[in-house]
Amino acid sequence: MAERNTSFNIILYNSVAVIIGLLISTGLLAFMKINPFDIVARTLSKIFADKYNIGEIFVKATPLIFTSLAFAFTYKANLFNIGAQGQFYAGSIAAVSLSLLLGGRVPRVLLILIVFITSALAGALVGGCIGIAKAKRNANEFLVSMMSTYIVNAVMDYLLRTALQETKAEYMQTDAIVPQSYLSIIIPGTRVHSGFIIAVLAAIAVWIILDKTILGFRIRAVGMNKHAAELGGINTKLIFVISFLIAGGLAGMAGVTEINGVQHMLLRNFNSSIGSFGIGIAILANANPIGCIFASILFGFLNVIGTTMGRLPGTAIPASLVELIEGIVMTCVIIATALRVYMGGKAEKQRMKEGGEA
Amino acid sequence: MTNLLYRTILMSTPLLLGSVAEVFSERCGVMVCAIEGIFLIGAWGGFVGTYLTHNAFIGIMLAILCGTALSALYAFVTVTLGQQQVVTGTALNILAAGFCAFFQRVIFGVPTSPLVIDTLPILRIPILSNIPFIGTILFSQNIITYLAYLLIPLSYYVLFKTSLGLKIRSAGENPVAVDTAGINVTKLRFLTVLVAGSLGGLAGSFYTIGYVGMFTTNIIGGRGWIAFAICFLGNWTPYGVLFGTLAFGLADALSIYIQAVSTSSYFPREIVIALPYALTIILTVMRSNLRVPAVLGIPYKKDN
Repeated sequence: MAERNTSFNIILYNSVAVIIGLLISTGLLAFMKINPFDIVARTLSKIFADKYNIGEIFVKATPLIFTSLAFAFTYKANLFNIGAQGQFYAGSIAAVSLSLLLGGRVPRVLLILIVFITSALAGALVGGCIGIAKAKRNANEFLVSMMSTYIVNAVMDYLLRTALQETKAEYMQTDAIVPQSYLSIIIPGTRVHSGFIIAVLAAIAVWIILDKTILGFRIRAVGMNKHAAELGGINTKLIFVISFLIAGGLAGMAGVTEINGVQHMLLRNFNSSIGSFGIGIAILANANPIGCIFASILFGFLNVIGTTMGRLPGTAIPASLVELIEGIVMTCVIIATALRVYMGGKAEKQRMKEGGEA
Repeated sequence: MTNLLYRTILMSTPLLLGSVAEVFSERCGVMVCAIEGIFLIGAWGGFVGTYLTHNAFIGIMLAILCGTALSALYAFVTVTLGQQQVVTGTALNILAAGFCAFFQRVIFGVPTSPLVIDTLPILRIPILSNIPFIGTILFSQNIITYLAYLLIPLSYYVLFKTSLGLKIRSAGENPVAVDTAGINVTKLRFLTVLVAGSLGGLAGSFYTIGYVGMFTTNIIGGRGWIAFAICFLGNWTPYGVLFGTLAFGLADALSIYIQAVSTSSYFPREIVIALPYALTIILTVMRSNLRVPAVLGIPYKKDN
């Protein structure tokens, strides 16, 4: 009963926070001497008039599900993995290299399977290094994960300039992968691909691992009280490494959905903000894996709103509006979390008082 | 060689300001994880102020104001409301990036040619700047650099020789005791974060006003996080971070120098770009005898 009450409260407070955040950010459009209501109405009608645009919401949500899970997973162990971007890049490099190498030479299903496993391993490699640094040397994990992103980015730039560069050698991007290595489109007339289903399955798998297995119990125990967990015989260092390995693997898989599902090539500064958005989504979802699915769809929607607004004729709304909206929404959600805890504590006190008097 | 060392000092200036800002706030128990965003908004504020008024002083003031404003929001959420610092920092970093890009467009529209401002003039210190070698490296810098170096002994003095410094350090070691002594921990931390924000804003403005003369949204490129890291590596002392910033300033200067010189396309100049970040990881992993403030990152909640 109490638990259901809390999740209801979380959803209530966070929804209000999201709405307030959206109101504030659309209000900012007034600075551009644009009528916010008019522009929002035009944007929404444009999005919902077209199946393709509605599909884009799920296309944008797909990698965000993975990166938010990558943050949420370590967050349960009270660790901060803010390097999902780098783990995603590692996965992308693996995905594009293998697709270029094997595309058209092996059957599609086998290829996709290989690509998924390798990309997850590539992401897990980056994540695992962070976990080991934390476990062995007690290094500050969010500092190391943050820095690892810049390093993977530099590696990616180097590869894009040399080994992986397109045959024309004009831009810093790879050749397009062959259609035999694409993830299949699941809704005709849109870009929604099977990666979305895989992302949802991954979220469910993470929920099962965290909530229904011994490993998940250990991870949560370490997250709640490291010292108590250690006294209880849990190898906390091993848990650090495992959490980061899995988180890295999840972020790495986003590389497949983006390379084989959407972009069909790797280019410079590819999806450069999905890592940080993943953190916001995980917070919005209170690090609940199933919540991450819905919060990702919401952020995907915000993303589509932003890009559609930017393309409306007669306005010059910058695409950076998306970041502004998402930043404001995240801040509102964090403040709402504080309010919720505060109000919860107050209600608890009230109940105890009443109970005492009765 | 002289040029390289000159650039080392130049590039270490904002890192020094930023890491001293972190030393203060972290000694007090609060990690300013929004430092990247504070740098960025400072860079933007400095650019806008200078471009619109043609007065670098107003630009610097606006940068400090912007940095302080963002840190006030950060302090409100993390200190007053006691929320997760890493998470709040991430949110505010995104917010700052969106804010700067959006209002850059609001103010300047889509410019046909890049918007440029004059960078700060070099102030030659009389007599000292005439010393060969050292004079060029140390005493022919701009005003922000001199300020940054004056800040080191000043912040050492404040932190370790004054009662205010004692309060700040105690709030990061044993906030209950500080509270018992009748000092308002929340207020103390809030104000310290504001000071850190103003230093961070000044640091950010260095990139636009003091160095590049232009504003782009990726101008900071993780240097806020590096300042954050230097604070750890410098063991939370002003003199410790001085060494750290010089090392990173050298890496930064080297990286710019090699990028300018290297012509061969197969030479991995990305190694040089990644150098400061790799250095951070290596040093973080190597140093295990850090003296972390006891309650770093833990919000203080008064029991009542």
